[in-house]
Amino acid sequence: MCPVPDGKPPALLVQGLSKRYGDGFTAVAGLDLEIPDGAFFGLLGPNGAGKTTLIGSVCNIVRPTTGTLTVFGHDHRSRAARRLLGLAEQEINVDRFLSIRQILIYHAGYHGIGRKAAVRRADELLEVFRLDSKAAARAYELSGGMQRRLVLARALMHRPRLLILDEPTAGVDVELRSEIWRLVKGLNAAGTTVLLTTHYLEEAETLCDEIALLRAGRIVDRGSAALLRDRYAARDISEVYDRVITGEEVA
Amino acid sequence: MTNSTDAPPALPSYDDPFKPERSPFLWLFEREVLRFLTIWRYSVVGPVLSTVLFVVVFGSALGQHVDTVGGVSYGRFIVPGLFAQAIVNVGFFNGTTSLFEARRDRYIHDVYASPLRWWEINAALVSGGVVRGAVVGGGVLAVALPLTGAGSVARPLVLLFGTLGVLLVAAQVGVIAGSLAKSLDHVYSMESIVLLPLGFLGGVFYSVRQLPPVWDVLSHLDPVFWLVQVERIGFLGQGDVGAGWALLMVWALAAALSAWSAAMFATGRLKP
Repeated sequence: MCPVPDGKPPALLVQGLSKRYGDGFTAVAGLDLEIPDGAFFGLLGPNGAGKTTLIGSVCNIVRPTTGTLTVFGHDHRSRAARRLLGLAEQEINVDRFLSIRQILIYHAGYHGIGRKAAVRRADELLEVFRLDSKAAARAYELSGGMQRRLVLARALMHRPRLLILDEPTAGVDVELRSEIWRLVKGLNAAGTTVLLTTHYLEEAETLCDEIALLRAGRIVDRGSAALLRDRYAARDISEVYDRVITGEEVA
Repeated sequence: MTNSTDAPPALPSYDDPFKPERSPFLWLFEREVLRFLTIWRYSVVGPVLSTVLFVVVFGSALGQHVDTVGGVSYGRFIVPGLFAQAIVNVGFFNGTTSLFEARRDRYIHDVYASPLRWWEINAALVSGGVVRGAVVGGGVLAVALPLTGAGSVARPLVLLFGTLGVLLVAAQVGVIAGSLAKSLDHVYSMESIVLLPLGFLGGVFYSVRQLPPVWDVLSHLDPVFWLVQVERIGFLGQGDVGAGWALLMVWALAAALSAWSAAMFATGRLKP
């Protein structure tokens, strides 16, 4: 674990992260990022800006080319760090051979949770996410909204301290979106640090304590929604986004 | 969603070391076994049935018109080779379907992001293939041995250690193929262009001593030949090579494939 001056490490510390894929594409270039414990942090940027590569690097899905990443002071590759991380990816990437209930139970198992506790927690979350009537079904039998809820429930099975949500509301209806945000806000209020990527800028503005704008693999600006609005003399984050991201891209 | 997560339970401390209540490896291994048992018609019954049909057609029906091979009836002669081939086919498909589909569906991300260590992932996948191979192999023998009247085992220790090696080789081949495959086309191509010819040319249905010298030599370059030989020596007490050589080659192959597979997982080459 990395030593920290005040005894409280940041939830996520990324230093000098670069990722160059085999085809020569550089997705992230020298990225630095610090997210304090307990924050609700938004990561905004266009497709291809490096958001998913950053998240993949943190969660050991992508091999970084260079850089150091720590999760609550632990090297991100360590088991202690992985136990503290929860990831709900944009895609519905669930085990097709298992039932909904088994998907949750085995996920808990991969995080070292015992069978009794895993079963109890799975049943709790099936109820919370209103999936209990589908517990024995396979994921492909669920509607899109239910699949989205399943991915989120799975990410919460092992009670992560840092919850990473990659476009959690992509393609879901307004009602489910507001339910998801209510749930995530509740988790954040109870101490879970949230790292969120979304294309719904107004929601990021409402939900997040701090927002980082990502372009071409680098963070070009960050701050609270109010600070960013003031800095760019903008009415809202959409306008900030237009100036910082879209404007630069056009230029 | 209901309100019961409005007051979620306490979060884990960030400075506690990771102490699993149950080994994550055991969970993943259990999942691998559960996976093939869920599709038992395809994963177990199909391979047993197709192998038994070979025994019935080639051994019992056509075998009556074939001379004995080394003093052994043709039906008994082909059972060890078919047993080895069944294990190899099952191990290959277990690894490819499990790992390739996990990669294609990106479900493997859930495993990579968890505290499972690289060697635990590798070991769980291979162990799943070993168990499936043992189940199918056991099924084949349960039907084939009574059919051919080959109830006795000539060299039990050779059979035991040889079969363990064959199971390991087969499971590792499957995991490696599942790691390298980029599409379903790759998976089926590897099966039909590589595995099937090696199986047929590996001496399952004949003794290589019956072949012209050049084919005899070439057969020794076929890895499946050694897998067949170790089973044949174990069951019948005779083969085209000595027991020591057969065991050595099978375990050398198992060690080489295990090292290859381990290197891919350890270096993270399976990740982008």
